Amino acid sequence: MADLLKVSIDFDTSHLIFPRLIGIILLLLGLVIVIRNRRALAGSGAMWSQTFQQMDKIRFFGTLALTIIYFLLMVPIGDLWPNTGLGFLICSIPFVLLISILYMHERTPRAMIPVLIVSVVAPTLVWWLFTYVFALTLP
Amino acid sequence: MAIFEFLTPMYLFLIFAGTLVGIIFGAIPGMTATMAVAVCLPLTYSLGLDNGMALLLGLYVGGISGGLVPAILLGIPGTPSSITTTFDGYPMAQRGEGEKALRIGIVGSLVGGLVSLTALFFFAPALAEFAIKFSYVEKFLIILFALTVMAALSEDMLLGIFSGFLGIFISLIGVYDVTDGGNGEYRLIPPGMEYWLDSGFSLLPVLIGLFGLATILEAAEAGMPKGQSMKDIEVGEHSRFKWSVFKGQITNLLRSAGIGTFVGILPGVGGSAASILSYTAAKTSSKDPDSFGKGNPAGIMASESGNNGLTGGALVPLLSLGIPGDSTTALLIGAFTLQGIQVGPLFIGNNPMTWDSMIVAMLLANIAMFGIMYFMIRWLALVVTIPKHILFPVILMMCVIGAYTINYGIMFDVWTLLIFGVAGWLFTKLGLEVAPFIIGFILGPAAEIYFVKSLESFGTLSIFFTKSWIAMLLWVLIIGSVVGSIMLARRKSAMSRPVA
Repeated sequence: MADLLKVSIDFDTSHLIFPRLIGIILLLLGLVIVIRNRRALAGSGAMWSQTFQQMDKIRFFGTLALTIIYFLLMVPIGDLWPNTGLGFLICSIPFVLLISILYMHERTPRAMIPVLIVSVVAPTLVWWLFTYVFALTLP
Repeated sequence: MAIFEFLTPMYLFLIFAGTLVGIIFGAIPGMTATMAVAVCLPLTYSLGLDNGMALLLGLYVGGISGGLVPAILLGIPGTPSSITTTFDGYPMAQRGEGEKALRIGIVGSLVGGLVSLTALFFFAPALAEFAIKFSYVEKFLIILFALTVMAALSEDMLLGIFSGFLGIFISLIGVYDVTDGGNGEYRLIPPGMEYWLDSGFSLLPVLIGLFGLATILEAAEAGMPKGQSMKDIEVGEHSRFKWSVFKGQITNLLRSAGIGTFVGILPGVGGSAASILSYTAAKTSSKDPDSFGKGNPAGIMASESGNNGLTGGALVPLLSLGIPGDSTTALLIGAFTLQGIQVGPLFIGNNPMTWDSMIVAMLLANIAMFGIMYFMIRWLALVVTIPKHILFPVILMMCVIGAYTINYGIMFDVWTLLIFGVAGWLFTKLGLEVAPFIIGFILGPAAEIYFVKSLESFGTLSIFFTKSWIAMLLWVLIIGSVVGSIMLARRKSAMSRPVA
């Protein structure tokens, strides 16, 4: 019995021991879950179709699209003025504004005033704080 | 008196300012106590050791405490250790008891902070002596115990365990770090991603993604429900905070603070484990465990008392052994290094003034935290009244800032935020549990080191059972928590089964 528990570790491959062990445990747990939830898994197509039908597609995919565009533009724009954080500032103002408009329920001129103020003030304040007070370089 | 030479107006101001700034950092999702300490660390260059420590300890106490504000009001933990505060705090806020929940959390935080400070002051040398006896074997078993108790918190135990192991698996992506005794080899990295994933996914962007972006994506999917008004928080007598809510909860508060302090002392086992263990202990010892997760004040007390209990506890190994108890105290080593001071077994004896100054700073920071948060609660609660279409875009931007600046400017961390934001949204659809995933992710790398090193040292798996009486006791606790979870799940399923 004692021999069965003996383990010899080769230093060169020691990085694989724990990931393999966790991988095996994950596979076994996954197998048990698949067997136990087989009926739910068989009906997962319907679940996703229902989720897609019920979701607010414009707000959900709009958030993802605007976030990806925001991330993609921040660095190239920032590279035009290196080490100034202007990439963050220039991209954050329209990002916050567009996301706010996307999330608004009543897009009236009166409701737009605080949105416009926050869209300009919040990114500017954060940019100033991190660039000048905390001296952290933003994109 | 000479012993209070450090008590200058500047020292007092720095504690107050540090605590206030820490609370604000903690209260903004995506910004943490660790980040607050990290960004203010350079300021200590010019402050000297005592004043520098006053500022950093204020930030630490404030940062840990501030996390309860978004955890309760928005369901987003401001700091990783506020995860369990969301379980009961958010349901309370949703039913109009936000103010009450916040005050319960603040008092819980104060109790946790003061108990851990007492432990730090009176028992530091003895507790450190106990913790130093823990070998890799016991440290691994402590992590295993923390992971198994997660099962008790999961809606579906099997999916909860799966999520925990998935978190460990994801945390192992990257290099097996040489500085931790690894061999420096890559694993689990897709081809071509070695540059980006050299150190794996950074914790903070993962946390911000799972708790910040995922929450916003869920709200967007639901069509962005309209925000609450101040009236929602104050409505009805039942929402008023009364001290009587603590009747019969002294044991819960002290036990949670004790657990938090103990977990803090164990190096590497951080605030999340402290709050989760405290929460689980409160849940399992409660006469009404099913009410936990649905807005039970005892859950908030346990979580906040537990995570603030960590603050004093995490300083014990730092000041007596030179080993940080958590990521924030790891940064404090940087502050000592800036002043040219080595923390270790000789620190307290060689620097009695600094030791006294740190104890007083912790005490005053806890009092300042209580004063600021308790009496400014209406200001802090205003976060809820901000319309979601104004708050969420700003939080999204802050999430980006938090992800980007934590490693001082790595764009991949920002993409990590998006990856785990989408993953968090998918988790809710697939029934996977975010909290066990995070715990697995946080504790995974340490678990690997302790596991592999134990086997390298002893060459047999039996060492995990036979190493010491502590190891055996931990196995009893591990098996007890698993059996307890199974019994709890069976009882729950029997109760939910319709009567024929």
